[in-house]
Amino acid sequence: MKKFFAYIGLVVLLVPVQTTLLPHVAIWDIKPDLGLVSAALIGVLTGELEGLVVGLAIGWILNLYSAGDLWLNLVTTGGAGLFAGLLAKQVAEITPTILSIGLLLLSLSGGVLAALSMKHATVADTWWMLQFVVVPQACFDAAMGAAILWFLGQRLALPRFGMLNPYS
Amino acid sequence: MWMVNVRSPYGARRLALGMCALLLAALLLFPGQSQGLLDYLDGPVGQLVRLPLEAVASLDQGVSGMWQQYVSLQHVADENRRLKQEMDWLRGENHQLREAAAATQRLTSLLQFKEQALPAMVAAQVIGRDSSNRYKSLILDKGESDGIQKDMGVITPAGVVGRVVKTTGATAVVLLLTDSNNAIAALIQRTRDEGIVEGIPQGRARLKYIPMLSAVKEGDRVVTSGLVGGFPRGLAIGTITAIDREEGALFQTAELAPEVDVNRVEEVLVIQTPHAQSSDTSARSETGAKTQP
Repeated sequence: MKKFFAYIGLVVLLVPVQTTLLPHVAIWDIKPDLGLVSAALIGVLTGELEGLVVGLAIGWILNLYSAGDLWLNLVTTGGAGLFAGLLAKQVAEITPTILSIGLLLLSLSGGVLAALSMKHATVADTWWMLQFVVVPQACFDAAMGAAILWFLGQRLALPRFGMLNPYS
Repeated sequence: MWMVNVRSPYGARRLALGMCALLLAALLLFPGQSQGLLDYLDGPVGQLVRLPLEAVASLDQGVSGMWQQYVSLQHVADENRRLKQEMDWLRGENHQLREAAAATQRLTSLLQFKEQALPAMVAAQVIGRDSSNRYKSLILDKGESDGIQKDMGVITPAGVVGRVVKTTGATAVVLLLTDSNNAIAALIQRTRDEGIVEGIPQGRARLKYIPMLSAVKEGDRVVTSGLVGGFPRGLAIGTITAIDREEGALFQTAELAPEVDVNRVEEVLVIQTPHAQSSDTSARSETGAKTQP
């Protein structure tokens, strides 16, 4: 039950952070997608099922505050949680580097899907979006995910994540 | 070989995964029905998220206001000088416009035209930006409970900002003019040629479907045509900066510099009724634009 309320708190707090605070730290108008990063981290830390369910919830709530289509947000964020959980099971030790590579691929996949589903865009517009939005955002997401995992590793002893506390 | 190791293949885990897959499949196969179901949940969830969102937004506005008013004052002297020059110029223009307005009023009464009613509008504050980078949109602090609905036009006194694409009870999402998913019916003020304004990913807009015989040129102003959508006729959209005339093409396309800097918008007006009803025309024309604070 405690976990359930923690997830609700996370989902609700993600909205103001993502929509109001992160635009201030955007570089070249690109801000990290904290929803995708959170879903992937939950998938990695707790398994694919929780990753999927929390990812779907995050995708749905963030979609209320985005002009995008609901299915796209659900597929990208829920999919990130699910695939992060499944991929984490195939890796013996999850380090921030491994996580950042996984996040880079997940964010790129979601971004490409979104770029291809733009309504009035020409081929040139799609290429521009891939070049100047999707790729930088994937890099940003990867860096953000790695930083959060590293931060969690400093606070918690995570044996499977190559982050055992050296003093314990 | 790719192997997926799901620890407990039977039971709750598999059931939950199946349910999620079913939900996504239902959403893709029956978008209308599943969207309707989710709309029931949007209201309470929107109210729940409203509290932290408004708290963070007011904190953010307080901090940025303090920064702009007390800390970031280095260009104020230059700006003040520039604004004074601009004010002198506008004062002169204002006199000319007063004369023109008076003449128009006389001529209108002579021709017994009905005075065009101004639209009813709701003022709203911008409390956030799109949660993703893929769309250019604003989040407003007013929603369905304030009478805001989908497809209503959003403006500032300078011109068009965008249109409402999504609402909850307490908030509304405005798709900006510069988003490539947006399309607004427009006309060129000088030549009266109609077209469609669409956003482009680079943060500008373009006017499409201009007839090949049109004498459009750089610097022409583009305004709303009022034919479709939530805008009355004549609201400023932007100024043409470049024209693309391809040989063999059916239409011309022009690039626009939007009138409103959509990245710096803080307050907007949402147009509730773009075309005022004839029954209350006289009442509204006396009171001017009906704006709720």
